[in-house]
Amino acid sequence: MPDSFLFGAILQALINGVISGTILAVPAIGFSAIFAVLNYPNFAIGALASVGAYGGLVANTVFGLPLEVSLLAAFATAAVAGIVVEWVAVRPLNQAGALMMAIASLAAAIVLENVIRFFWGNGLRGYDLPMLRDVQFGAIRVGPQQVKNFGISIAAMVALWAFLALTPLGRAMRAVADNADLARLRGVDPVRIAAVAVALGAGLAGMGGMLIGLDTSIDPLTGPRLVLSIFAAAVLGGLGSIPGAVVGALVIGMAEELTVLLIAPSYRSVVGFVVILAVLTVRPAGLFGARA
Amino acid sequence: MTLARRTLLLSTSLLAAPSLVRAQAAPIKLGTLTPLTGAGGPYGPVMAACVRGVVDQVNAAGGVLGKQIELISEDDQTNPEAGVRAARKLIDVDRVSAIMGTWASSVTTAVAPLAWENKVFLATVSGADSITLLPHNGWLVRTQPNTTLQGKKFGEFAVAQGAKRIFVMMPQTPFTQSQFAAMKAAAEAGGGAAELLIYDATKPSLRTEVDQAMRFRPDVIVAGGYTPDTSVLLRDLYRASFSGKVLAFAYAVNQAMLGAIPKEVVEGVMTLAPSPAAGSGGYAKVQALAGTQAPDPYTCQIYDHVNLVLMAMAKGGATTGQAVHDNIRKVSQGSGESVDTALDGLRAIAAGREVNYEGASGPCDFNEIGDVLDVKFRYEQVKAGALTLIRIA
Repeated sequence: MPDSFLFGAILQALINGVISGTILAVPAIGFSAIFAVLNYPNFAIGALASVGAYGGLVANTVFGLPLEVSLLAAFATAAVAGIVVEWVAVRPLNQAGALMMAIASLAAAIVLENVIRFFWGNGLRGYDLPMLRDVQFGAIRVGPQQVKNFGISIAAMVALWAFLALTPLGRAMRAVADNADLARLRGVDPVRIAAVAVALGAGLAGMGGMLIGLDTSIDPLTGPRLVLSIFAAAVLGGLGSIPGAVVGALVIGMAEELTVLLIAPSYRSVVGFVVILAVLTVRPAGLFGARA
Repeated sequence: MTLARRTLLLSTSLLAAPSLVRAQAAPIKLGTLTPLTGAGGPYGPVMAACVRGVVDQVNAAGGVLGKQIELISEDDQTNPEAGVRAARKLIDVDRVSAIMGTWASSVTTAVAPLAWENKVFLATVSGADSITLLPHNGWLVRTQPNTTLQGKKFGEFAVAQGAKRIFVMMPQTPFTQSQFAAMKAAAEAGGGAAELLIYDATKPSLRTEVDQAMRFRPDVIVAGGYTPDTSVLLRDLYRASFSGKVLAFAYAVNQAMLGAIPKEVVEGVMTLAPSPAAGSGGYAKVQALAGTQAPDPYTCQIYDHVNLVLMAMAKGGATTGQAVHDNIRKVSQGSGESVDTALDGLRAIAAGREVNYEGASGPCDFNEIGDVLDVKFRYEQVKAGALTLIRIA
């Protein structure tokens, strides 16, 4: 392989990685937000991404709503499902510790997955979108839908930042994440904040599920297939850290693409496991995490 | 004491006499072991009914070697455990000479050792390569092509499309390597080259994999996955403006996929699948027996099983599993008179002629480990959003 050829291939893989990492960041932020406030890893995040993807599908193909509105529907559907999971499956176990809550979320994920199967079956579903060819810039190829999804993901992150930084509710959420006892002393209602965090986290996961589905098609396992990458991104960034989740997702996205190029495509999934192993061994708090 | 001995002798002879009588008129016992329930449930009942139809016809025409055939149909529930229980009943209680129609590879793998240990012949429709590699010593044959033969057909089809550079993209499966090796051999025999990329089927995008493929400059890409990952792959090939031909498995590019992804993405994709020998005499007989214009491949295959078993018994002059084991290839292949039903075959054998059975599922010629040598394949292409038949060959 000549040098310029290899350079082009690596550049292309990095661009693909940045784009897929940015989309992955959306559910990864959701996962981290729930962890920050409730202190347990919600493994239903994958199934919630699927729920969102199907919510968006109904909005888009049954009600004929445009993409942007359907994404909000995806957010809302997953947020409601997330709160139901939290109230029915997870919260009754909150005296039993984070591990029990994580296991409850796994069980809830299986239920959600099969609820989707019950209504839509195992088959593939596609959104009502035009199929566009990629645009070629020299050796580099970029898809219009890819760029659009990239933009939407950035917009979602900016909106989240604005919510956390500028609204009283967002500030209260950050306060609970920082120090729950202190926040309670200052009159912040932890139950209400927990509900907001779950709705926000699950909603972001749902939006992420739909964003991924826009580029491909969706089936009940669309979300669950991503759980490893989401978890790895969150662990790398530092569980509970939102900027960390973004950076972690970008690193995972690029690493996965480079693995395809430089090692072998079938090792792509190994990236997630290796990252989790390495972070937990070397720096359990992750890149941005304060606590471990 | 004397009395007691006489009584014993008498009662023993009384017990023995009916069994002596029975031995002469004892019917031939054959078993079907098909999935009447479970994942194979749509196929098993039709398969068993087809065998019943053949047995009734042969019985009406006088049976085999002057004996009537008694058919026992059991349910394997598409489950190896249930399959073994049912096989034990067929072998130990019913004392069948042959078991036909095991469907799931897991069931066949579990039942096969029972069959060969008890000298019961097994005919199966399972496809896993490993089945005929079991140490069965000739006690089983299968009519379903193994995955290696499917790979060979893929390679030959690609070459026939004028391909010189074939790029194969498959997820990791138990048959990926063997299937690719067969494709590569077929491609190289046709003067072409082939390369394999194993991708991770769980990823939502295969863009970088497609870039890899494009660097090989293929004129044919084989998309060898299942439906979800193949739909991702086809989209990414479309986006990359791949202009060559795409071949895929019919079980992946199916009606469900055509409904779910944009038409232009699948347009022109060619598919391949093992096919019954539509248009053959045997196929027409299965159509009549099953009462449908399009009998499934497994019903066609079990029709061939029962015909072959009955003719092998006639050929060997005995109704045991051993006779089937020793004679099945003498009726399934060779230069004899071509027949497509046991009725014709049995008459020819009685007249001392050689026969070569040409079945509903294909020519039914077997190699030494029991793999079918050649079957028809069905080639289709997506045209205007629908699968259209190119040919069956």
